[in-house]
Amino acid sequence: MTNTMPKIVRKTSPYLRRPNANATRMMRDVTIALLPVSIFAIYSFGLSALWILLVSIGSMLLTEYVFYQIQDKLQGESFKFKNKNFTLYNFSAFTSGLIYGLTLPDQTPLWIVALSGVLGILLAKLIFGGMGQNIFNPAAVARVLVVVNFATLATYQTNIDGVAGATALSFTNQNLFSIEVLQHYTLTNLFTGIGIPGSLGETSALLLLLGGLYLALRTSFEVRIPLMYIGTVFVLAFAVAIQQGLGIWYPLYHIFSGGLMFGAIYMATDPVTSPITKPARVYYGFALGFITFIIRLFGALPEGVIFSILIMNMFVTSFDYHKVTHSQFSTKRNLIFASVVVLAIVVTLVGASYVG
Amino acid sequence: MIKKSRQVRDYKELTRALPTQTYLDPEKVFIHLQNGRCKTYDLYVEEGDHVYFGEVIGVRHGGFFEQPIHATISGTVGKIGKKLHRTGRKVKCVEIVNDYKDTYHPTITDRPDHVIDALTQDEMVEILKQNALVGLGGSGFPSYIKLATKETINHVVVNAVECEPYLSSDYRLILDRPEEVIMGLKYVMQALECNHGIIAIKSEKNPLYEVLTQVIERRYSHLNIEVIKLGNYYPQGWEIEVFKSALDIDIPYGELPMKYGVLGFNVSTTAGIYNAIKHNLPVVERYFTLTGDAINYPQNYRVRVGTSVQDLIRQSDGYKKEMNEVLVVMGGPMMGVSTVSDDVIVSKTTTSVIVLENIGYKEEPCVRCGSCVYSCPAHLEPVQIMTAVKRNDKDQMKSLHADRCIECGLCAYVCTSKIHVTDYVRKAKKLIR
Repeated sequence: MTNTMPKIVRKTSPYLRRPNANATRMMRDVTIALLPVSIFAIYSFGLSALWILLVSIGSMLLTEYVFYQIQDKLQGESFKFKNKNFTLYNFSAFTSGLIYGLTLPDQTPLWIVALSGVLGILLAKLIFGGMGQNIFNPAAVARVLVVVNFATLATYQTNIDGVAGATALSFTNQNLFSIEVLQHYTLTNLFTGIGIPGSLGETSALLLLLGGLYLALRTSFEVRIPLMYIGTVFVLAFAVAIQQGLGIWYPLYHIFSGGLMFGAIYMATDPVTSPITKPARVYYGFALGFITFIIRLFGALPEGVIFSILIMNMFVTSFDYHKVTHSQFSTKRNLIFASVVVLAIVVTLVGASYVG
Repeated sequence: MIKKSRQVRDYKELTRALPTQTYLDPEKVFIHLQNGRCKTYDLYVEEGDHVYFGEVIGVRHGGFFEQPIHATISGTVGKIGKKLHRTGRKVKCVEIVNDYKDTYHPTITDRPDHVIDALTQDEMVEILKQNALVGLGGSGFPSYIKLATKETINHVVVNAVECEPYLSSDYRLILDRPEEVIMGLKYVMQALECNHGIIAIKSEKNPLYEVLTQVIERRYSHLNIEVIKLGNYYPQGWEIEVFKSALDIDIPYGELPMKYGVLGFNVSTTAGIYNAIKHNLPVVERYFTLTGDAINYPQNYRVRVGTSVQDLIRQSDGYKKEMNEVLVVMGGPMMGVSTVSDDVIVSKTTTSVIVLENIGYKEEPCVRCGSCVYSCPAHLEPVQIMTAVKRNDKDQMKSLHADRCIECGLCAYVCTSKIHVTDYVRKAKKLIR
């Protein structure tokens, strides 16, 4: 019969939650997906790669920890090792640090890694209010701080041919549409990442795709963004290839080299800094691809990925603006989007005909 | 996890295979004199009066309709007390003490089939009105107002989807009494001069499909009634979603389905229509699920309207010993209402009481994964509405159509960070009303 009566509490519906869903799992999955890439980086670049990764992750974790400790102190709370804002368990700072480390050139001095890491997470994440509040991707901001402030100090290893190159892409800047680039690196090398100079985690397209596949199977990222991103770069490069009479190697070269794969799969998909609806995420991926390609083709920098991500981060709020946002695709908006795509191809081709 | 997720674990295995327990002889029943739609009432009987089973003992006054109140057992009228209602307020209830004789009131007589065949729409509407038939799935909207529609109806849909987790009272009803459902549908089709009836079920509920198709084939093959299997997702049972999946008819927000030639009834309502027309019987009993992980023997009951839930919990051997804090939910676990006490009454529209262990979910910051946006059946953007509520930006709530929310609870269910998104959207609905 009625034994001890339990206490009846009142809540609001729904009373159930999806099992196994938490933000930590999402962040942890990104780390797991990046493991093969990190191991490959240490294998191909040696211990310096390991040091860079340790310093980049360490600087971000430590900054976040110290920041929250200071914040608590200012609010007059007593010191606790695990304070109430203790967010290190949820892998978000760890993931940012790992991604940041993997975008760095292998010869970057460690003090630059540490300084940019600290500034990156502080300026891009913590002062906005921490996890979920940031506008810019902290890893991308930290990486840009390195590019902008210490460009000459952060150098790439000279490769076997003795060509003091940056990434494989930097050849295209000097010689836009020449097949000569392939004399240095074959497409197979670019795809597997063997013998390719470049940033730690950006060399092997194969391993990056493998990680992407894992994330897609775990539904830990929005697969539309990288697909649109890489797809747009491919289509634009393909159009240029047809115009200039180049082979299929040209678009392939573009998508396999540089940080495109890495940026598309691991940085552009950061849910905090990407739009919220399905259509907006497709448009976002397209815009990223377009800006990247424009920077690669016409800009002074060989790499457009990080900058395009930061530029588009700024527009995320416009995608999500309440008067324009729609959670569903519609024929009208699809048509508008299709015409924007066509326009983008035309602009690229007109530009390419001047450069070429 | 960023994905469209409408799979909600359904926990129906707790109750649906078990036979329905009959509990038709409560010591006393409590009849609601007021409810969510009706605030005032007139009572025709006094304390000490004897009433018959099915007798009209009063009338509830709603905004645009009146509802007779029926006694659901025969016995002596007791005190008028206050009991907790689903709406969270205490409402007046009249007590009837059972004399265990079940003496029928003379109005309860069977109608011969040839009389029923000659009934017109208006006559049927009048019968349902006399018997105070309302939407028994939980809405409580008067069914006779629905049935009185002057629009041409091409399809009548019986909604037997029951997509809320835990609930299986409709499931048991169809298994136990398929004919009542089909006959009820037949009467509705007759009233509306419609020749296409649909019984919509979830595709995983194969036993229901077998029962219904067998009965239709053997006895009602002359009627154009189809049993349609719909998707196994939540909220497939939302009327708009049923019409969309079963008939491919898209009903825009704010429009009535009748305008599009379809009319939907809950399956218990259909059975109620059968009883009202065939036996001239008001809703005196219903199928009721008492389940949840905090109760010893979850099962389905056939109970009198007005039975105390405390009695039923005792019948189910009470709460589990190890429970410290429980939630008592009237309705389903996704949309139901949590009450502060188990001293509640099974009313006409109470489909179930679910007793759940209280789990304190830890909310994390929103990572803008977008699962709520992907999953929302009304195509809203719950997370954006949530930020609008936090900023108290009413323009934004309006242009994000917060008022279209059906409060199905899916956004909070799927949330990666376990944030109670539904609550924010609910708040937004209130703010812009």
